[in-house]
Amino acid sequence: MLIRTAIKNILGAGRRTWLNVAVLSFVFVLMVAYNGIFDSFMKDALTSAHEWDTGYGQLWSEHYDPYDVFTLQDAHEPVPEALNQSIIDQSITPVLLSQATAYQNGNMQNILLRGIDPEQQILKIPSHQLAGDETGTIKAVIGKRMANTLKARPGDNVLIRWRDRHGAFDAREIVIASVFDSNTATIDAGQVWISLDNLRQMTQMTGEATYFVLSKQSRIKQDIGTWVYKDMDFLLSDLYLMAQSSRIESVIIFTILLVVALLSVFDTQTLSIFRRQKEIGTYVALGMTPQRVTRLFTLEGTSYSILAILAGFIWGAPFLYWFSKTGLKLPESYSEMGLGMRDAIYPVYQPASILTSIILIVALSMLISYIPARKII
Amino acid sequence: MKEKEEVVGLRGMMKRFPVGNGFFTALDQIDLSINRGEFLGLVGPSGSGKTTLLNIIGTLDIPSEGEAFVLNRSVSSLTPKESAELRNKSIGFIFQSYNLLPVYTVYENIEFALLLQKNSKEERHKAVTDALEWVGLADKAQSRPSQLSGGESQRVAIARAMVKRPAIVLADEPSANLDAKNSHTILQTMRRLNEELNTTFIFATHDEKVMQYLKRIIYLEDGKVEKDSVI
Repeated sequence: MLIRTAIKNILGAGRRTWLNVAVLSFVFVLMVAYNGIFDSFMKDALTSAHEWDTGYGQLWSEHYDPYDVFTLQDAHEPVPEALNQSIIDQSITPVLLSQATAYQNGNMQNILLRGIDPEQQILKIPSHQLAGDETGTIKAVIGKRMANTLKARPGDNVLIRWRDRHGAFDAREIVIASVFDSNTATIDAGQVWISLDNLRQMTQMTGEATYFVLSKQSRIKQDIGTWVYKDMDFLLSDLYLMAQSSRIESVIIFTILLVVALLSVFDTQTLSIFRRQKEIGTYVALGMTPQRVTRLFTLEGTSYSILAILAGFIWGAPFLYWFSKTGLKLPESYSEMGLGMRDAIYPVYQPASILTSIILIVALSMLISYIPARKII
Repeated sequence: MKEKEEVVGLRGMMKRFPVGNGFFTALDQIDLSINRGEFLGLVGPSGSGKTTLLNIIGTLDIPSEGEAFVLNRSVSSLTPKESAELRNKSIGFIFQSYNLLPVYTVYENIEFALLLQKNSKEERHKAVTDALEWVGLADKAQSRPSQLSGGESQRVAIARAMVKRPAIVLADEPSANLDAKNSHTILQTMRRLNEELNTTFIFATHDEKVMQYLKRIIYLEDGKVEKDSVI
């Protein structure tokens, strides 16, 4: 009975109701859209990281620290015998790193040479393009960001200079076999992929690696000798950190939006209780307890959010569907952030995320409606 | 002859309101007994305590001292829930400005009190139809309060007060906003219902037109009963 009365009252209130509903439904749809973008971004970034960079875990040389370039000189160790079978099974693949300099079109560019097995199938790096060096040329594959920086295209030769394990410099031309397109900048910007055998030979690091990428099938979950196991939580910690920071930003934005929207509900409720004193008296005279009248007014305020959510579904569904198809185009600079991002983000709307937005809006509007209504008692 | 049954009993009742550092005495040592079926008025100038007395009888307020019994229940000892229940089932209110709920139709306004009683739909329909017949507004059932004249609105208010067949109806200046013709119409309606249903009507008024219909007049002045006369 209270629900019926509350709905009748707010529908009877006319424009004021629709103003509140419009503001709340706008916030609701915005929340769903933003969460959709965020969820989609996270899904893309995770998939990209698995496919292009981290695999499903890694084993690192004990000296390897990707954030300290000075460690790279010593970050290589012989592949332990215990891992040979896993390499043959293709459940892990070794990668060797070496710093180098590329010279192209009169420019000099610091690069990281990454040696990878051309047969590997764990990462999506097109390493098969590195196979077959019969002519003696060293083939390389690079990402589109690196190709942009070097202004190199498939078939171009690029001069590179590196130091072997004893510190002696050597230089040679490599040929760009292929340019790949990846969302993950960490394996693209400043990175040149060549065959593992070539890099081992060039650096005199025969049978050595810097780290191993583990496939989904790999059962390695612990350190192997001096090789340190890194799980996904560790490898994706940057992504999680960024996600957390984005969440905080979104919480701040939505708090501001919700405060504005809920202020409108609060204002309506306060004014309504002031203007409807006679009506409140009538309810009490007809046999409602003051507590019940408080519940009625709280319900009225809450009904704004329920109507807003219904309205949000009506106008928001076509908009959100359209948005999920057209996506949000990202500026060029975003691709340099080091995280897996496509040119556009296509929002994915998770039911849990929509439900959370609904619960949040309904609960807050209930609270904000109760605050002035409790004075009726 | 009908046996007298007390519906309202006031014994040495006082009501004070805090004003500044002191108190304003709105009702002073009121002793009254009102029986079932009476058609009486509390008459007096503004500020004489009529509405305060009506509020206490309607269990909307409690006395500061003394006792007020309504249908054998002490008003002071009622919980909010009990007093709400008593109002819902046994006391009808008619206000000077009708106090109809604007978003409801006439039918729904009258039905409201029955919804609180959780009566079945059929029971509610019968009772509302009867009430509309009593006040002669059967054809206005689906109208909104904004579409009614003052007289019609007050007749709806009477129907809303009577639909639950209360023992007592409290009417605060019911004719104040009405012209003479409409005042007489609603008073005749109330008088008829008083006789047909044996409902006690208590008016707070200083309107001469109302006084013509009263069977008992209690004159109040400065919160005291000055005169209690049966006509």
